Amino acid sequence: MALFLYLHFPALQLDNLQHLAENSQHVAIALVDQQHQLLQLNKAALTAGLKLQMGLASAAALCPDLQLLPYQPEQQVKVLKSVAQQLYQLSADIALDPPSGLILRLDGMLQLYDGLQSYWQALNEQLAMLAYRYQYSCGATPYAAKCLAYQQANLITTDNASLLAAIKASPLKATELTEPQQQQMIRLGIHTLGQLLALPPAELARRFDSQLLSYLGRLRGDYYHALEYLQPDPGFSRYLELLYDISDSTVLAKPLAKLLLQLEQQLNRANCQCYQLLLTLFFRDSPQLQLSIGSAQGEYKATAWLQLCQLQLENLPLPEPVYGLQLDVNHFAGQQRSTGALFEQQDARMSALQLLSLLQARLGRSAVSGLTLQNQHLPEQASQRCLPLVKGQTSPSALVLRPAFLILKPEPLTEPVTISQGPERLCPDGWQLTGQRDYYIGRNQQGQWLWLFRNARQQWFVHGWFS
Amino acid sequence: MSALLDQLTRRQLLWHGDSQQLAYQAVASGYPELDQQLAGGLPATGLIDIQTDAGIGELRLLLPYLQQQQQHSQRLLVFIAPPAELSADMLAGAGLDLSQLLIITPGQQAAATANVAARHKKSAEKNQSAKKFSVQQQALWAAEQCLQSGCCATVLLWPAAISLAQARRLQLAAEQGAASMVVFRNASQTLSLPVNLSIRLQPDPLGLQVTVLKRKGSWPAAPFQVNMQQKWPALCLSGTSGEPMRRAG
Repeated sequence: MALFLYLHFPALQLDNLQHLAENSQHVAIALVDQQHQLLQLNKAALTAGLKLQMGLASAAALCPDLQLLPYQPEQQVKVLKSVAQQLYQLSADIALDPPSGLILRLDGMLQLYDGLQSYWQALNEQLAMLAYRYQYSCGATPYAAKCLAYQQANLITTDNASLLAAIKASPLKATELTEPQQQQMIRLGIHTLGQLLALPPAELARRFDSQLLSYLGRLRGDYYHALEYLQPDPGFSRYLELLYDISDSTVLAKPLAKLLLQLEQQLNRANCQCYQLLLTLFFRDSPQLQLSIGSAQGEYKATAWLQLCQLQLENLPLPEPVYGLQLDVNHFAGQQRSTGALFEQQDARMSALQLLSLLQARLGRSAVSGLTLQNQHLPEQASQRCLPLVKGQTSPSALVLRPAFLILKPEPLTEPVTISQGPERLCPDGWQLTGQRDYYIGRNQQGQWLWLFRNARQQWFVHGWFS
Repeated sequence: MSALLDQLTRRQLLWHGDSQQLAYQAVASGYPELDQQLAGGLPATGLIDIQTDAGIGELRLLLPYLQQQQQHSQRLLVFIAPPAELSADMLAGAGLDLSQLLIITPGQQAAATANVAARHKKSAEKNQSAKKFSVQQQALWAAEQCLQSGCCATVLLWPAAISLAQARRLQLAAEQGAASMVVFRNASQTLSLPVNLSIRLQPDPLGLQVTVLKRKGSWPAAPFQVNMQQKWPALCLSGTSGEPMRRAG
């Protein structure tokens, strides 16, 4: 026999908002739809006496300092998906039932968990961690479970008879029937689902449309109910709307830490790490700003990522207050742990790659570089900046008598110099004689060793100094 | 009696006048005169303050030391804010491993942030004022991070100025990460810093004139000459030839 569990989250968007924003427990918040009806209420609003489906005017009369936020179904579906992702660790078959429900197929899982009670215990712990309000119930079919969950039946049982009895006693309000259909039923004297199910289907088919029949068939389990089970996403993408605008980039660290913690949980579950985060800041008037935060070694820990983000945010002037944050990770990579020597004298606090990402986060990517020796005869082409810590191919043998420091744009020689060695003639490509430079080593009166050249027009320049 | 002496020595209440115990582990500098004067060589960890003009041979003096530091521990060598482009030829020629070398030039990201600032004109002025004071700060911050990380052998820093508190902080960071740090300063900055070793370099026809200003656990000594004729014959005015080849200018 198939067994389903339905989880209904009555105020998912609001709970998510409240979970991420601090100090919002005492503020009465409500979500309203386009018709100005209250759809979701937080605890403070409920204690103030507000009820769902209430109009705005009566709500404002009951609770003058009520905060209103628009209901965003697509936002809620995102949250629902993330809840499903987190439950996916415990339960294999999860189907989304937007905008606020999850259908979990249990009969496959019961053997693994050795019974319903231990399964529910594990699931319950995970749900408690998520801190969203929820209603639940088991049922023989998805619709039966949904119907019971809407009534807050909270039945966790495999006993078919009690589930059936509960279904039969359910009011029509908890079903999927449309408002006009319910009205019609009430006029016919049908108030519970049991009464409706007792009627022969052939009779119903004559009076009602096929939609009702298909619903009842699925509820009973006569018709096959196709569910699209969740496949885990490869990346991470979360959006967080801030309860109040933040104009100081250092304050952004607080809400960001929560997003990063969620990322860490997901990475940890998948035994992965990531090399790059994309952080998008949303402004009311200016276009959004996207930051890419990289770690050369790859990290999964929220604290490590937070440090890198903070370093980058510190340097960032915010053009105006931020109202939303989005964190994206497109690519996960498997975790790799570096192996350290067992008898190492000093234990390094971090690896060279971690240090590199730290420096790059604060100073910018271009500020940190490595150095390579190219097989070129011109000094300015022989040494080249490259990506740091890249093990290059075997470099050509070095010319020892070269200055330690090169001046990018040679400066005219302005002081008397004693020449001690030279000349060494270097010509640019193709041995153009007009571009030839005769290099000398000279010492000026302060005792500095300069690297000088004389061009074809007998002008003297300083190109570097020996140090 | 000797038990009592032992106990007192252990509690550092007793001090031997004749023993010159080195306060730090020394690494041979590659120049015998210098090693002799410094009782073994340059410190393997901690701050080394070098007061010098640019281009008289200060880096040449350190190259063997840097090479040993890098090779011994297989850790990074970091150059922070060098005064000009470093040449790979010279460094590779001295035996340094270029793949284990980092160059940090703070202030480079000005261009990157300028893009952002251009998009958000309002904050551009604020940004620039913040930038001005921070290039020096960024260099010091980078130095501290590198020293603390434990994955750098030696950090070389060319600061415009460094305060007592900053030097102390860097010294602590260097001890924490078992790294050494070389600070190149102008000779005009006479402020004495809490460092393991402080030397002043002056040009000399045969190499360098070295004055040890301060060394942890020892007395100051007279200036002495470091002869570079063997290692760098081309960069010495050899006493025998006398005649310079030619004059230019």
